[in-house]
Amino acid sequence: MLSSLIWTPILGAVLIAFWPGLSASRSRWVAIGVTVAALIWSLLLGSQFDVSSVSLQFLEDLPWIESLGLSYQLSLDGISLPLIVLNALLTAIALWSSDSDIQRPRFYYSLLLLLNAGVAGAFLAQNLLLFFLFYELELVPLYFLIAIWGGARRGYAATKFLIYTAVSGVLILAAFLGLTWLSGSSDFIYNPLASQALSLGQQFILLGMLLVGFGIKIPLFPFHTWLPDAHVEASTPVSVLLAGVLLKLGAYGLLKFGLGLFPDAWAVLAPGLAAWAVVSVLYGSFTAIAQKDMKKMVAYSSIGHMGYVLLACAAATPLSILGTVFQMISHGLISALLFLLVGVVYKKTGTRDLDLLSGLLNPERGMPVIGSLMVLGVMASAGIPGMVGFISEFLIFRGSFPVFPTQTLLSMVGTGLTAVYFLLMVNRVFFGRLSKQAEDLPPVVWNDRLPSVVLASLIVAFGLQPSWLTYWTETTTTALLPHPAAAVVGTVQLSPHESVTLSSPLVSPRLPIPNPIEEN
Amino acid sequence: MTTTLQSSSNHPLADYVHRLESGGALLSESETNVMEVVGILKSYGVVLDAYWQNLIYIADHQFLELFPFFKYFNGEVSLNRLLRHWWHDRINYEYAEYCMRVMLWHGGGGLDTYLDSEAFRQRCQPAIARAIQNNWVVQPLHCVFPDFLPEQIRQSAYYSALGQFWKVMSKIFLDLSDEYDRGNIRTIAQVVQYIQDGLVADASLPITYAPIVKGQRQEIIPLEAGLTFLPDVAVPYVEAVFFRGTAFFGTVSYNAQAYQIPFEQDRFAYGALYADPLPIGGAGIPPTLLMQDMRHYLPDYLHHHYQQQRRGENDLRVKICQSFQKSMFCVTTAAIRGLMPHPLDTTILEERQANRSYLERWMDRLQTSCVEAVNQG
Repeated sequence: MLSSLIWTPILGAVLIAFWPGLSASRSRWVAIGVTVAALIWSLLLGSQFDVSSVSLQFLEDLPWIESLGLSYQLSLDGISLPLIVLNALLTAIALWSSDSDIQRPRFYYSLLLLLNAGVAGAFLAQNLLLFFLFYELELVPLYFLIAIWGGARRGYAATKFLIYTAVSGVLILAAFLGLTWLSGSSDFIYNPLASQALSLGQQFILLGMLLVGFGIKIPLFPFHTWLPDAHVEASTPVSVLLAGVLLKLGAYGLLKFGLGLFPDAWAVLAPGLAAWAVVSVLYGSFTAIAQKDMKKMVAYSSIGHMGYVLLACAAATPLSILGTVFQMISHGLISALLFLLVGVVYKKTGTRDLDLLSGLLNPERGMPVIGSLMVLGVMASAGIPGMVGFISEFLIFRGSFPVFPTQTLLSMVGTGLTAVYFLLMVNRVFFGRLSKQAEDLPPVVWNDRLPSVVLASLIVAFGLQPSWLTYWTETTTTALLPHPAAAVVGTVQLSPHESVTLSSPLVSPRLPIPNPIEEN
Repeated sequence: MTTTLQSSSNHPLADYVHRLESGGALLSESETNVMEVVGILKSYGVVLDAYWQNLIYIADHQFLELFPFFKYFNGEVSLNRLLRHWWHDRINYEYAEYCMRVMLWHGGGGLDTYLDSEAFRQRCQPAIARAIQNNWVVQPLHCVFPDFLPEQIRQSAYYSALGQFWKVMSKIFLDLSDEYDRGNIRTIAQVVQYIQDGLVADASLPITYAPIVKGQRQEIIPLEAGLTFLPDVAVPYVEAVFFRGTAFFGTVSYNAQAYQIPFEQDRFAYGALYADPLPIGGAGIPPTLLMQDMRHYLPDYLHHHYQQQRRGENDLRVKICQSFQKSMFCVTTAAIRGLMPHPLDTTILEERQANRSYLERWMDRLQTSCVEAVNQG
């Protein structure tokens, strides 16, 4: 069942690449068809998903290279389910917003489908080595997508992206190998209890590797420098996927493998991680204020907003972890919307320079719908109530405050700064008189608007009805915490044969959660 | 009498001075310009026809009606009309009122003088007495604030005067369009001449006002006041609406605290000849209403012309406004020529110099207008 989410896009990619005489238009529709099918399939899986269970669901376990400990083990939980849906949705949107007259269309659509498959595989993999393989697999199509269809400095940006993320991959692989070998395990099956056999010092080293590895991917300061370059040079659909889904791989990895595999070391490092989150949030936000390029501004905004994920992970309360997943989805939707809108502005005006653009909200000659959606997008990003950004930030801040009050308050400054830089952008680009360069723009058609309208609708829908998302996730995120708010509680009692007892100031004090490994 | 050759003008808009002296217009000659100007004046004529009827209805039948809820209905109130009114796909009579208020505020001409006279005040008294008899709310108010109701009547007089002015203009514009359709109008110069002839023909048309108050006509502006079409309404209208106007988005920032708006009214330059067409379509901008109204009555050839351009129907109101601005420069040309101190073709140097000075004074005022922009587009 789950394999189809990986192999259907791969099959689609092969079909598009090698089917003789397939036209650009048909390639496009095949690619869209495949991703829409994946989206429908992931929604159907969601409808069959047992939200009350923390066990691995729809498990597929096939031996692969047993001598290496590599097995083809896929499963779905409450964290990966919304991310799988987001991946399918944003790939469909990226395909829809791709230029129909793009150069080398068959190669392009194949790469997008391969990227989709790689990301889906990473979210579904329950074997550490399998996760690593999928994590690395998505680098290849993304490298080509930036290097071939990017802007003027695409070579530089693609190479920088490749180097950074390859280093990220090496560190993650090293951590997985270290964990497996040092724990004496014979395979790479995801086991939250594996680190029990390791000393705290060993855990620090391995967790440190994961933190840097996933910190590059998220990205966190100071490992972020590849991101603005990649975004600026990447085409709009690739930026949508990069910000909407690929960065989430880092956050997902941090949550699942950092916190999930090394809870003891995590608890000790948590204050430092929270401080790191503050630095990343404030750095991203202040740097965004200084930007003149709309896309760079949104890219730096991503750095700031993904910093919230680290803060919430560091606090590790049930509410903050729920906020982490919510923030991943929220940021995925909002950043995808913002990049789409910036893409439309660039496509129609030929520039993203804040000094050259103005008055695009002009009702007749500008892009009033795009401008209105942009206002909605920046409001969502700044955490205005009624939109998904507010829910995720509220969950994170509310969940993190009892554990790290100072760091949380400092991170909340980032929300204020988001309003500052995005209002600067909206004010310059969309208000005032239409700039000379923009007086005779080509019209914006509904094809350009449709993806943004879909994303904006979801942003408002989840903002008004967050339970539609938390419903799927809450049980899994709660179960993820072996000792919630460990930094506060200070005691850890866990063995493979015991149930986990949660205690947190923000949830019901005693919630027995069965051990997921034992159930399977 | 001297008949030597006149030297060139050194005015920054000398080209326009020379063009006017040689019988040309502020708008350059081109087939497209003729088509745009005549086409837009046709739709403007239709809209003006509706505007003037409503203005006259309000002036005559809503006299001292302090809460005129149904003033835009011309006496025909029905649920259908009410729903259509709320739906806003209708003639925006609010624009006509905006123009009326601009005239009232800027004043000028014989009408303004008369409405400040003792004769007017005396004529107001019986009309007010009749209008508020048995009205126990307004009567004490009138005693406490005796200037309030006369001011309302001044406004009603402007409703009527503007209505009478637009009745004439509407006919001129619709007849012009008919002449164009018959093939008798082919150049901008002919358009200007046609409008000028129309203005001159009706120049001495009397302006009067006698509303019906409780079933009886009350003379407010009698024939004896001597007010006539051209000097007392047309010229103040051009001054108030074409030149001075009011500051709104698209003219200049209307931040009074920034001192960007001159203190003296006669230095205002926010009229139709100065406004930027680009913000048209935005809320709170009076011309948006007019362009929206004209959109419904565009002749097919002009609509087709707009559709052929890059954004097609998307920026229709801006394109209408650009054409409208062109047409207003033609009307202004007609007014400037109609008020020339000496005939345009005079050979007497002193008269030519007087004409030159006259034209240069107009050009001084047009320096910050959109005259260059309409000739580039």
